Amino acid sequence: MQSLLDIPRGARSLLKGMGVTIRHFFRKPVTVEYPRKRAPVAKAHRNAIVLIEKDDIGSHNCIACLQCEKICPSACISITGSRPDGIAFKRPDKFDVDFALCSDCGLCLDVCPTDTLGYSEVYDAAGYSRADSKFDLLEAWRDKEGEALGTLRERERKKKEEREAKRKAAEEAKAKAAAKEKAEGKEDDKTGNGTAAS
Amino acid sequence: MPRDFVDIFGNPWLAAAAAIAVIMGFLSLNALMLIWMERKVSARMQRRMGPTERGPFGLLQTMFDMIKLLGKELITPTHVSRKLYLSAPVLMFVPIVAICSLFPLSENWVFHKYDIALVLVLAFSSMSILGIFAAGWGSNNKYSLLGAIRSILQNIAYEVPLILAVLAVVLVARSLSLYEIAMEQSPIPYILFQPLAAVIFFIAATAETNRAPFDIPEAESELIGGFHTEYSGMRFGMFFFAEYSNMVIVCALATILFLGGWHGPVLPGVVWFLIKVYALIFIMMWFRWTFPRLRFDQLLKFSWLLLVPLAVANLLVTALVLKLL
Repeated sequence: MQSLLDIPRGARSLLKGMGVTIRHFFRKPVTVEYPRKRAPVAKAHRNAIVLIEKDDIGSHNCIACLQCEKICPSACISITGSRPDGIAFKRPDKFDVDFALCSDCGLCLDVCPTDTLGYSEVYDAAGYSRADSKFDLLEAWRDKEGEALGTLRERERKKKEEREAKRKAAEEAKAKAAAKEKAEGKEDDKTGNGTAAS
Repeated sequence: MPRDFVDIFGNPWLAAAAAIAVIMGFLSLNALMLIWMERKVSARMQRRMGPTERGPFGLLQTMFDMIKLLGKELITPTHVSRKLYLSAPVLMFVPIVAICSLFPLSENWVFHKYDIALVLVLAFSSMSILGIFAAGWGSNNKYSLLGAIRSILQNIAYEVPLILAVLAVVLVARSLSLYEIAMEQSPIPYILFQPLAAVIFFIAATAETNRAPFDIPEAESELIGGFHTEYSGMRFGMFFFAEYSNMVIVCALATILFLGGWHGPVLPGVVWFLIKVYALIFIMMWFRWTFPRLRFDQLLKFSWLLLVPLAVANLLVTALVLKLL
């Protein structure tokens, strides 16, 4: 008797199941033809780290501060850097990552002061030996380094000029104020001088 | 004036040879298309793309698969019963060709009008069990044998409700000829008179063809494919072929018995017939990619305790109503 009562319920559930499959039948497939088309990378994906291009420089903006190297719990980053002429910051000479050791913890990204570290979008890197997982992050930027250095130097020079101009202006203002004071010959209050100079 | 093959060729042997050629050609093309369709349907229901590489929409994929199968070595395991092992694929296929020759595709597309075509169809469809058992016994493999035994049990269990459902239609049509039955349904198809019989027939037919959710004989995980475990290359291909040809047969039978055969507006009869057949086949595929496989005791219970009583009740009610009318 119970089984007889189950029949309509069972039939309904079967029809419901068929409804689910036919609904999906008419929807677009979610897979892509992989080698030719690639699935888009999710926003929160984690992967091997790379240096990201910063728009205003035309290259990465790594200053070889070594913070990422120090915070890395797996010690997979090794950086050496030096200061090129005419630039206030260091630039990396070597930025090697051993992805075989990396645990994708993301601490290096958090700590980067210039935000020039990011995750790679190549999610299907493969290799035949451990050496294949050692990435030289500067490799992609090597031919742009000269240009970037030029831009940085230019910027540095402009900054210097600006500073110089500001200093000169300040000095002139100070001299003017002094002259004014002298000419008026009133009180030689130091606070008055100070406000005028600044 | 409708003419059949015997009239056209004059010689019955020549007519038979021509009919076999036509049927085999149709069945091979059909099997290739159906395998493609199955792969595409399953892919779409799982939100995948399915075959896309060869030909438009991957249509030629199955043809390349068949060429690969043809090129494969035919391995005959040691200790098989050679006669049974080698004859099983043929035994599977002969009744299929025989059944196909009985179907009227439209008013004029008939090989020959038999008065008892329906009985012949049911008799021949029972013969395919023989092929399954020859394969299972002849392979000398416990998985094959278990698969074959299951298949036979299942076929026997579901043939009873199938035939009972068909009998109800026969009572309404007062004929055993498929042509007559289809002609009777000119205004209204029998599915409206016999909805219960139609449902029972379709469920039983799905089981008869060993399709999911009744594909226990082939249960990959437990029986490694069942009765065709030991077959390789095109011998395996023949079983595959037979499975899809069987689908066409039961769907064609359902079309003739319940959906009014070739009757339909505007389009020519053959087109209507094929549309109905392939729509039913799509429903079968839809079943396969929706329902999980039944356990074996559930399967037998479902047939003997539910389908058979329902079919008997349906038959009795039909007989009573026809008597009173």
